[in-house]
Amino acid sequence: MNYSAAIIGGSAGSFQVVTKILNSLPETFPMPVLLCLHRLKHVRSGFVEALSLKSNIPIEEPYDKDKLGPGKAFLAPANYHMYIELANRVALSTEDPVNHSRPSIDLSFITASNAYRNKLIGIILSGANKDGAFGLKKVHDNGGVTIVQDPEECEVKTMTQSALQLTKVDYVYTTDLIIKFLLKLI
Amino acid sequence: MTELGIVDIREIIKNILSKYGYDFSEFALTSFKHRLEKLIIKNNLSGVDGLLKKLKNNKEFFDIFLHEISVPSTEMFRDPSLWRWLRDELFANINEKNLTRFKIWFPNSVSGGELNSLAILLREMNILDKVQIISSSLSNKSIEYIKEGRCELKKIEVSAENYIRFKGTSDFSNYYRLDRYYAFRDTSLIKDVEFNKQNINFDNSPMNIKLILFRNSLIYFNPSLQEKILRIMYNNLSATGYLILGIKERIKNLDTNKEFALVNELEGVYKKSL
Repeated sequence: MNYSAAIIGGSAGSFQVVTKILNSLPETFPMPVLLCLHRLKHVRSGFVEALSLKSNIPIEEPYDKDKLGPGKAFLAPANYHMYIELANRVALSTEDPVNHSRPSIDLSFITASNAYRNKLIGIILSGANKDGAFGLKKVHDNGGVTIVQDPEECEVKTMTQSALQLTKVDYVYTTDLIIKFLLKLI
Repeated sequence: MTELGIVDIREIIKNILSKYGYDFSEFALTSFKHRLEKLIIKNNLSGVDGLLKKLKNNKEFFDIFLHEISVPSTEMFRDPSLWRWLRDELFANINEKNLTRFKIWFPNSVSGGELNSLAILLREMNILDKVQIISSSLSNKSIEYIKEGRCELKKIEVSAENYIRFKGTSDFSNYYRLDRYYAFRDTSLIKDVEFNKQNINFDNSPMNIKLILFRNSLIYFNPSLQEKILRIMYNNLSATGYLILGIKERIKNLDTNKEFALVNELEGVYKKSL
C-alpha cells in the first residue's frame, strides 16, 4: 500500500514522542508528515527549532497555500487552523477554535482525510483533551490507517482514550512500534 | 448535519453568481465549505435546498449571507509585536504634517477587532483625530456589527492578554464594557471612521492609501483571486504605502510579488515597490 501522508496529533505529553518519531525518520521518508500539536497561541517561535534539533527531515511551519512534499514535516502554526486542500496544499484559517483549540487536531485530520482518503495514516498521541478523536474516526471511515499511542505509555491519557472510545482503531502502539511501522513504509 | 459535498458547493456558487453577480468560485474550498455549513445551521435552514430557497429573491438574507460567510477577526492586538511595530516604528516616525494626509484602509472588515485595535493605538499616541480611516465591508450587516462593537467574552480575555504584550499605556478594561453575555467595545473610538460598502471585486475602493491593514483575509482565497486583489491594492496605495498581511500570508508565489517589497519579514509588512 502506498500512502500519501502521515498526520500526527498530540497535546500535553506529546512533545518527547513527536521528537523521537521525527528523529527516527530518514530524509528519504516518502511522504509529508503533518503535525498538529496544541501549543500556546502567543508563542510564535521556538517550537519548530526545538523539534528540529535532531530531526533528519526538515520541519516547516507552512505559509498559507504552501505545497506539501515528501521527506518534510509541516507543523500547524500557532493560532491558525491548518487545513489540507485537495491540490496537496496547506490552507490556513483563523476560524473559531474547535475543542478550545486553534490549531484543532480534528480539523487538520478531517481535511487531510478528505484530501487523501484511504492513503492517509492518522496517529493520535498523548494529550489532555478529546480533540482529534473525531478526526481519527474520519480517517478510519475513509479507509485510512489509524494508530493510537498506547495509553499506558502516555503522560496524559485523555486524548488517546477519547480516540479509542470513538473508533475501532487499527493499532495501539508504543512509540517504538509507531516508529517501526513508519520505517517499514520506506 | 451532513457535510456539504463539492457538488453542493458548486450549486450554491452557481446560484449566487446568477442571482446576485457575486462570484465565490475562487474562495478557498475548505474554509468556504465550513462557513456554508455553519451558516446553514445558524439560520436553521434545511441543508443546501433550504439555503438555495432562502437566497432566492431575498436581498436582505443575501446581505446576512455576505456577513456570515466572511471570517471575523480573532482577538484584538493579535500578534502584539506587529502592533508594537506600527506604533514604535511606523507612526512614531511620521511628522505632524504628513499625518493629516495619512489615509488608512481596512478592506473586507467583518467584526472590527483590527479597526478598534488601531484606534486604541492611535488614541494612546494622541493622533487618532489626525489620520483618516476608511473601513470597507461586503455587507451592511458587517458595518452594523462593527458599529455595535459586540464581542465574545472569551475573545476579550485573550485581547486583554495581547494588549499587555503590546505594552499599551492604559488599562485594557477602559476600552470595553461588559454585560451579562458579551463585551462591548468603546465605539466612540471609531466615530470618525468612514464606513462604506464594497463589492466582492473591490470596485470603487479608496485611492492614495498610506496603510492597508489586510491581515488573514487572503487565506480565504485561491491564488488567482489573491493575485487580483493584490493588484487592486497596489493601485490603491500611494507611492510610499504599506500593505500589512497576516504573519502566515506571503505573496512569494504570486506574480504580484515583484510589485511589493517585504520590509518586515516577521510581521508581514510589505511596501509598494516603485
